[in-house]
Amino acid sequence: MKLFIKDQIGPRCIIKEDGQKIYDAIHGALQNGETVTLDFEGVSQFASPFFNFAIGQLLKDIAEADLRRLLQIEHLNETGKMVVERVIENAAKYHGDKDYRKIVDDILEQQAKESD
Amino acid sequence: MTQKIIQIPTLNDNPQDFTQLFGTWSEANDYYADICFDFSVCRFLRPTAVAFLGGLARLIESRFGSVTFDWSTLHDSWVKTTIRQNGFASVFGDPSAPWDGTSIPYREDSALDMNGVMDYLTYDWLGKGWGKTHLSERVRDAIAGKMWEIYNNAFEHSDSKIGIFSCGQHFKRKNELCLSAIDFGLGIPAKIRNFVGTDSRAQSLPSDACLRWAFTRGKSTCTGGVARGLGLDLLKEFIRVNQGKLEIYSNDGYALVDKDGERYENQDISFEGTVVHITLRCDEKLYRFRDEAGVSMNRRRES
Repeated sequence: MKLFIKDQIGPRCIIKEDGQKIYDAIHGALQNGETVTLDFEGVSQFASPFFNFAIGQLLKDIAEADLRRLLQIEHLNETGKMVVERVIENAAKYHGDKDYRKIVDDILEQQAKESD
Repeated sequence: MTQKIIQIPTLNDNPQDFTQLFGTWSEANDYYADICFDFSVCRFLRPTAVAFLGGLARLIESRFGSVTFDWSTLHDSWVKTTIRQNGFASVFGDPSAPWDGTSIPYREDSALDMNGVMDYLTYDWLGKGWGKTHLSERVRDAIAGKMWEIYNNAFEHSDSKIGIFSCGQHFKRKNELCLSAIDFGLGIPAKIRNFVGTDSRAQSLPSDACLRWAFTRGKSTCTGGVARGLGLDLLKEFIRVNQGKLEIYSNDGYALVDKDGERYENQDISFEGTVVHITLRCDEKLYRFRDEAGVSMNRRRES
């Protein structure tokens, strides 16, 4: 399966809604173990919300190693590559359920460190 | 109720100027009626102040108050030229039409308009003057994508009922390009306190600590099972690499990111909303990809 992103989305991969469209188009194929190619030829502008939804959320039910094996990315410029890598790294560490007590602990712990 | 006249002071981008701006917000915020802004004593108005005043006017209007800018009191020629050129004056009733110049247009976004904002950043902010002549198209695209994160954050997190207000300027003598984006929503610290509201300590979390958390990679108040929290981190990284400056005023919190690091403070101010102010150094050597001619910093991956 190969998707030409410019045809699907346009030259700007910016917003989460467009990312969701790509996710919806490729998620099933990847889950079935098929190889998917995303071709970014002609796409020039990128931001993290697009990739969070297009690629980051794939890691909810696909292991990072499988994703890296099955998902091929072509013609993505340097800016886009940097954002994708950051998104994958962030998504791999993400735990969906919010533990509010832990968040408050984190905030106060950071604060205490700074005060030392 | 009679009309309240609020004097617009001379407003630069120094801490005391922000204190004055938030004082003006407070003065107008407490008065649910007709307000007239008077320019008699104003000798300078930075883009932050322009965007802020525009947003403040819309905030008052959203509460069914009326706002007028008394253009007859505008005597300073620099201020007059700037706010006519950037379109602010015509948006608020001055008969003059804006024109192209070093001022970056005043912009109001009541709803998320991706192409409108990206065009503004790419062509109006970066695509003329220094940006047009000194930056490659690739670099402009890369910077615009980073700046988009400001707008995305504001629309996604601020709960601003009236949207986002922007303005910018290229200051040739200082060799700086700046952009301000302001929302009149909850504010980042208040948003975080609400987010963790089930914890008994939530409402006593200090604003500086909340801002520090918000700037940390992967931290987000978004729910829904998709990892987020990269916007401010990417922006922070870009600013530091390129020796620019990012300042955020939100509620009583203040964040500064520059080449020397990050600083978070609690200040003696009060503002329901967030001001993001970015200053880029206009030195094209700082904004080149590795494979672009003349690159002097080998380890830099991108702008």
